[in-house]
Amino acid sequence: MQHPEHDMTIPPRDPAQVMRLARMGSFHQSRLSFMRILLRRLKSEHWTFEQHLFNIDARGVGRAVYCAHGPDRSYSLIAFANDLPPEKRSDRVIATEWDATFTLFDGIPSEADLDRLQGNIPKQEAGRVSEKELSVSRANRSVRLWEHVVTALSEGRQPDTAKVRDVGYLMRTTAVYGSGKLGAADREMIAERPEFRAPFQVEMLSVFLTRGFVMDLVEHMAHQRAPDTAVPLDPDLRRCFGIGNSTGLGMAPFMVTHPVLINNWIAAKETALARVRSLPTATQDDADLFCQFSARAVINADTWTSSHTIQIEKLTGLRRDMTKLQTHLKSADLTTDMPWNRLWLWAEGNLTLEGQEQTASLLLEPYGDLVDDLSECMDADEQESWRIDGAMPVAVLKQHIEAVYDWALDIDWTKDTANARVWYTSEEKLEPRIGARFEEPIEAYEQPLCPGRDAARLYNDLCACSDDLVAEVLLRAPQHRHILRRVQIAARHPYAEIHDNTIDAKMLPIDLLRAKLSFFGACHFDPRSDRWVRINMFKHAPFPHELANTSAEGWAYPPLPESAQ
Amino acid sequence: MTWSLGEIEVLARKATKGAGYDWGIAEEAGKAVRWLCAAGLPGTDVLAELLTLNDGRAYKDCCPDCAGAHWQARDGVLCPLITGTAICDRAGMLAQGDRITLGKVAFPLLLVPYIASASDGAGRAINIEWPGLTMCRADRSTTIDATSEAMAMGSCDTVTLQHAKTMTGTRVRRAYRGDISEQTRQVLADFAHRTYAPDTPESRLSGAGAGLSDND
Repeated sequence: MQHPEHDMTIPPRDPAQVMRLARMGSFHQSRLSFMRILLRRLKSEHWTFEQHLFNIDARGVGRAVYCAHGPDRSYSLIAFANDLPPEKRSDRVIATEWDATFTLFDGIPSEADLDRLQGNIPKQEAGRVSEKELSVSRANRSVRLWEHVVTALSEGRQPDTAKVRDVGYLMRTTAVYGSGKLGAADREMIAERPEFRAPFQVEMLSVFLTRGFVMDLVEHMAHQRAPDTAVPLDPDLRRCFGIGNSTGLGMAPFMVTHPVLINNWIAAKETALARVRSLPTATQDDADLFCQFSARAVINADTWTSSHTIQIEKLTGLRRDMTKLQTHLKSADLTTDMPWNRLWLWAEGNLTLEGQEQTASLLLEPYGDLVDDLSECMDADEQESWRIDGAMPVAVLKQHIEAVYDWALDIDWTKDTANARVWYTSEEKLEPRIGARFEEPIEAYEQPLCPGRDAARLYNDLCACSDDLVAEVLLRAPQHRHILRRVQIAARHPYAEIHDNTIDAKMLPIDLLRAKLSFFGACHFDPRSDRWVRINMFKHAPFPHELANTSAEGWAYPPLPESAQ
Repeated sequence: MTWSLGEIEVLARKATKGAGYDWGIAEEAGKAVRWLCAAGLPGTDVLAELLTLNDGRAYKDCCPDCAGAHWQARDGVLCPLITGTAICDRAGMLAQGDRITLGKVAFPLLLVPYIASASDGAGRAINIEWPGLTMCRADRSTTIDATSEAMAMGSCDTVTLQHAKTMTGTRVRRAYRGDISEQTRQVLADFAHRTYAPDTPESRLSGAGAGLSDND
């Protein structure tokens, strides 16, 4: 990952510091987030976009197709809009109907494709799709904002900016399924296409196009209601709408079940931070750019609302941190003597985890030329890392456990609080859930999502056995096979493993969700409980039709007020 | 209706776990069945039959004794999923040119993906054969010469693994979709179902952590 041309005086941060749940649960989007990678590519390759079909009636029922044309291929977002009774509106996976459902189609769909998909996409998990479909997703309206915007526009007024800011989106996606789910194309069918090599580009493209559709739909509904008086949204206000997402436990195990992929994401970001920290000097322009982004991060923190106790406290810390940073920047030397490393060390010593991780992301902003190439290192060949080295001596395996899982060997696993949770799959919806080991009859269904405990068990067994080689251990004790594979992977990939107990009584699943969603590029994390979070995606981003004439950079923070620009 | 290979892998993994195997073995079984389906071979069918046959069998009864060059189960028939992982873990031995014979083994087709993985891991050409089937793996390419009877064979008395000197048979072309018969799907789904925890009113609410209104 380290390029010879990059001086890395400062090494990437220690995994023992980075891979803690509290810190991962404070990650922010950055230049290396997947939606930013996507927009950079769409812009640099001059992708074009068109509304191919928009056939939606006054009740909001019908279908639409949006096409994205790249240098080699075209893709289409197919949207099915619905008139959903309020009592059926639920973000949970148990829902059976949604305000709108979507698929990203490989190419441009025929009428027959649309008819086939009409019978399947609105059913989501109860439907089936084919290898021509790359994703399946759905979204519900924000009731708070939808009606307000339709009413305002239909009466010829712009909606209230404070209301727009408070909610941030008109529709909230729930699941966005890709990678072979429900019969869709497997990732390996498309992973060789340059546009989809980076992780989650299919899903991000689908969501980017979905945001555009939702805005067109709300303007269409206003026009249907009052054709004589309706107005479209003001373009600047329009860009303040992101697309929401509501994510529950279904996403949490991903952070544990894809160790090499997660390693590559984190390693890319940590390498980027190390490159910036290693810069001996900075130009005044770069320093000014950093200050500008920091000022925009202040607005971002101020406009980020949450009603969840944990996040409210973190936001208070973040706002205080951003104020401290602004004050510090007024007198700090940002151009000489490894300015960014000094700034980083100041942040570590003075800011909360929220503020530190925000600073880490901000430090990458002026340095696209230095860090954007790392986006090419974020995918993973998970097949190749899967094989166990059976010839590894047990003594070496023990050393790896001591090095990577030292934190787990220090935990007293005889305590109930250390084993309090069980990750399991529910019979009803086949979705991951978490329960209380000592209160519910679920232990027999435990999923292997507790590497710390399992590594400690393996280590204890290794200390008591007389096996010489890993192959002998595995033949005698096959129950260790899962964790032994992880140990070998983690020994080769420093950021593969979370250094925290994922079944502890105090573990917060939202930390896992936030870490993943920050790499997607989400902002404004708003937990609804300790295992359920709402976010905003593509807020302030240009719309597909604007991309050709605007920058694909720098949109991820709110703009400064015109007076400050 | 065709299936994505990801769906096949997940179903095979869960079914194997549901049939009583440990997670680590089930994970490799999922990848093995995916590999077979991607090679156009009837991986899901043989897995469904194997799991039905081995349901309730103890690990120690069907794991190989790997001490010598002839591996057999202590108590009758080797399980190909367990034997396959043991072969992968000992890929280095095969790389040095050893020849291993297996005593009676159930559904030997399931061994084939493990041989492919062992060959890729060791960087050596490996050949596996039993009456009616020869498969070679070298440089990440597979050739196979097999009768449909040999592929579906429920058990075989002797299987030989050795360093491959020549590639024989037809080169396997990879597929990106798989098919599962309704009968096989049902068998695997029933095994997979054993890994799911029955819902309770409490778990419906607290397990997923929702409960707030989304109609906002």
